[in-house]
Amino acid sequence: MGPIMTGVLLFHIALGLALVGSGGQPRRRVWVFALLSPLSILGAALFASDGRVDWVPQLDLELVFRLDGYARVFLGIIGGAGLAIFWHASRYFTPSRKATRFAGTMVLFAGAMAGLVTSDHLLGIFLFWEVTTITSYLLIGYSDEKAQARVAALQAALVTGAGGLAMLGGLVLLGREAGTFLVSEIITNPPSASLAWVLILVGAMSKSAQFPLHGWLPAAMAAPTPASAFLHSATMVKAGIFLVGRLGPAATETSWWQPTVMVIGFSTMLVGGWAAIRQTDLKLLLAHGTVSQLGFLFVLFGSGIPKALYGGLALIIAHAAFKATLFMVVGSIDLATGTRDLRALSGLARSMPGLFTVAALASASMAAIPLSFGFAAKEAAFDGLSGTFALPVAALASVLTVVYTGRFLIGGFGPAAPESEAVTGRPVTGALLAAPGILAGLGLVIGLAPGLVADIVESASGEKGKLVLWPGFVEPLWWSLASLAIGLVLLRRGEIVDFVQERLHSSRIPKSDRVFAAGVSGLVASADRSTSLIQNGSLPSYVTVILATVLTVPAVVALRGGVVVGVPAFGGPVEALLGALVVASAAGLIWVRGRFAAVILLGGVGYGVAGLFALAGGPDLALTQLLVETLVIGFFALVFRRLPAAFPKPIRRPSRVIISVAVGLFVFAVGLVMTGGNPATEVADGYLTQALPDAAGRNVVNVVLVDFRALDTLGEITVLVIAALGAAGLIRPLLRSEDGQP
Amino acid sequence: MKMRRSVILESGVAVASGPILVFSIYLLAAGHNQPGGGFAGGLVAAVVVLLAWAAGGPDSVRRVVPVSASVLAGSGLVIAAVTGLVPMVLGGSLLESGYVEVAIPWIGDIKLVSALGFDIGVYLVVLGMVVGLLTSLGQESRR
Repeated sequence: MGPIMTGVLLFHIALGLALVGSGGQPRRRVWVFALLSPLSILGAALFASDGRVDWVPQLDLELVFRLDGYARVFLGIIGGAGLAIFWHASRYFTPSRKATRFAGTMVLFAGAMAGLVTSDHLLGIFLFWEVTTITSYLLIGYSDEKAQARVAALQAALVTGAGGLAMLGGLVLLGREAGTFLVSEIITNPPSASLAWVLILVGAMSKSAQFPLHGWLPAAMAAPTPASAFLHSATMVKAGIFLVGRLGPAATETSWWQPTVMVIGFSTMLVGGWAAIRQTDLKLLLAHGTVSQLGFLFVLFGSGIPKALYGGLALIIAHAAFKATLFMVVGSIDLATGTRDLRALSGLARSMPGLFTVAALASASMAAIPLSFGFAAKEAAFDGLSGTFALPVAALASVLTVVYTGRFLIGGFGPAAPESEAVTGRPVTGALLAAPGILAGLGLVIGLAPGLVADIVESASGEKGKLVLWPGFVEPLWWSLASLAIGLVLLRRGEIVDFVQERLHSSRIPKSDRVFAAGVSGLVASADRSTSLIQNGSLPSYVTVILATVLTVPAVVALRGGVVVGVPAFGGPVEALLGALVVASAAGLIWVRGRFAAVILLGGVGYGVAGLFALAGGPDLALTQLLVETLVIGFFALVFRRLPAAFPKPIRRPSRVIISVAVGLFVFAVGLVMTGGNPATEVADGYLTQALPDAAGRNVVNVVLVDFRALDTLGEITVLVIAALGAAGLIRPLLRSEDGQP
Repeated sequence: MKMRRSVILESGVAVASGPILVFSIYLLAAGHNQPGGGFAGGLVAAVVVLLAWAAGGPDSVRRVVPVSASVLAGSGLVIAAVTGLVPMVLGGSLLESGYVEVAIPWIGDIKLVSALGFDIGVYLVVLGMVVGLLTSLGQESRR
């Protein structure tokens, strides 16, 4: 048992729901309770152990928690970043019911995230994965009065939800192929299940905003900044990274996996970095920067190279620290000045020296300036990739990182752009400064003494890497220094970047959010079209489809397997008489024009058939048929009171005539087959002999109904009641509106 | 449309209803061994309701069946379901049936089968459905 992990998850459910549903006076104090969530996750990262909980034992479903070093790193990120972000949020929000609900949703999300990274069962991973999608939807849509936020929330939910569905398919395939749903067992004995890996990759790509599924992440910046910092930079978007890192060692057995992951990751890295440079909104700049970093992490975690995983783990910790810091900084700036436009913000370095220091520290880490945590982590990552083509590509992307980091820092804290109205603000205090400050300080300390986390990273990756203060003059360092230098030059000569950007974007590259919008509207339009085609509201066409199906399906079966057609023996004069009655009534139905005459003739058919049943020795059937016939005539009489006495002039379309005749012939043929063939008597004999001893009844029909097949009957009467309720519900308003007419 | 009343029809229905109802109960009770059962019994009872409607319209239906259709059908469903669940409580399986033999003076031994409860449920559902259709379809236009 892992009671700690179970306890932490249950605590999150309870706390989250309590906050979401809390009806009390909104106070800042709710965040004190919310802070218990990241605290407990940090506790779990330190003290929780492996465990399993039976969930649905009948289906072999269980929650299996695996608290290895890898999971602990992620738990630490969730708890550590969460602690700072929740604290920041306590000042970011003005207390309100909505903010309390937000806090509760954040807690629920944190719990789901903790469950996700500790799950060893594929379906457990999926379960928590989907909870993060749902809570993310709610958090992005916080400002539900704004259409933009609602659209962004929906986009994120659709993209990650669709990816999640693909992933579910992949996980199930993988589990079946491997014969186990436990990740730890799959890793040791990886199955070759190509389709499963494709689907899982799609899921991870959607969640971790990999190109070309990355469009939802910048859009998600409509969320309040704490959500952006927590979900969309530090934790949730790392879920896909987590997954490829967990399964990477098994997936790389499939030959295409590693090159595919590299292409996807590096495209994402370049696209994200390039887009980040173009942004004028600080938060959007960070979002695109996150996309870029996620691309790099995707490569490091998914490539299956142990040393790259080592570097990736170092980088993911560093990224969580500096990106969460920067998001909180942006949130504080937004709160203090009312804008996030880097063209308008002016002189914040002077008016907010504290915040500027924090931002500068985190930026140094983001741009991987030597002696920062980001630098040490990136060197470790480069070390993992050294000797492959990946290193130069990563270095190229790093140039972009340097440029957008510079633009962030200069734009946010330097002078305003000449054409903009300068905005400045008063210094922020308290949690607005201290929360990002602590994370930035942590980065500074680890940057100067990387040994503090080297052991953790080592135990998580199972590899001895190179997370050190100064790597020495080795190949990766030269690439780093080169990218740093080029980046600084480009920053200084911004017009070069602007020129290239200008040229590239005048060409028509489809933008991902447009593609998404077009995709969604196309889906809705095609749904409209198919609905109007299938549900066209015409009763004759429905009946035509139903009858045509009735004809074709059994006809195909009949043609494939031989059926025995027999001619029943002549049953005597009474039977002939009843048969004549049935035939005459049916024939009359075709020609008669009055509705009541038609009902009487229909009754003639029914009573005739009931008589035949009675003759053939089926009194129960005959009785029921007789009664149903009687009642049906009564109901027809009820309905026909409201209709014209005669049918409208019939439209004799050839197609309908053909179908009608065909159905008639078909039923006739079925009758011959039923009487001529040799029906299975085993079942019938069983019922006949068992009815009296087992059910104490001599009427076998009734025994079958109320005893042997009673569950069927129960289902039938349930359907009957539902149908009656539905019919009554449809009829009543109809009659009422009719009555309302003058 | 004001319904024309017919004295002959009304009296006929009044006379016939009682025996028909008795017959319907007989079908229900005897169904396990003789032709009949809850479904047929319910339909026969429904015929009484139909006759009542034919003779006196919805008002007369309401007089004959004072409870609403949903109560009838709903309680039928509940009775059938509970009959099915009782064996489970007693340690058997869902919808299992049992019987006791009871000796009643002058009539003789009678087997009481627990499935009769289930059949009563079916009976009420059928009756309730017909009553529901009659009261909704059979509404008079208030013109």
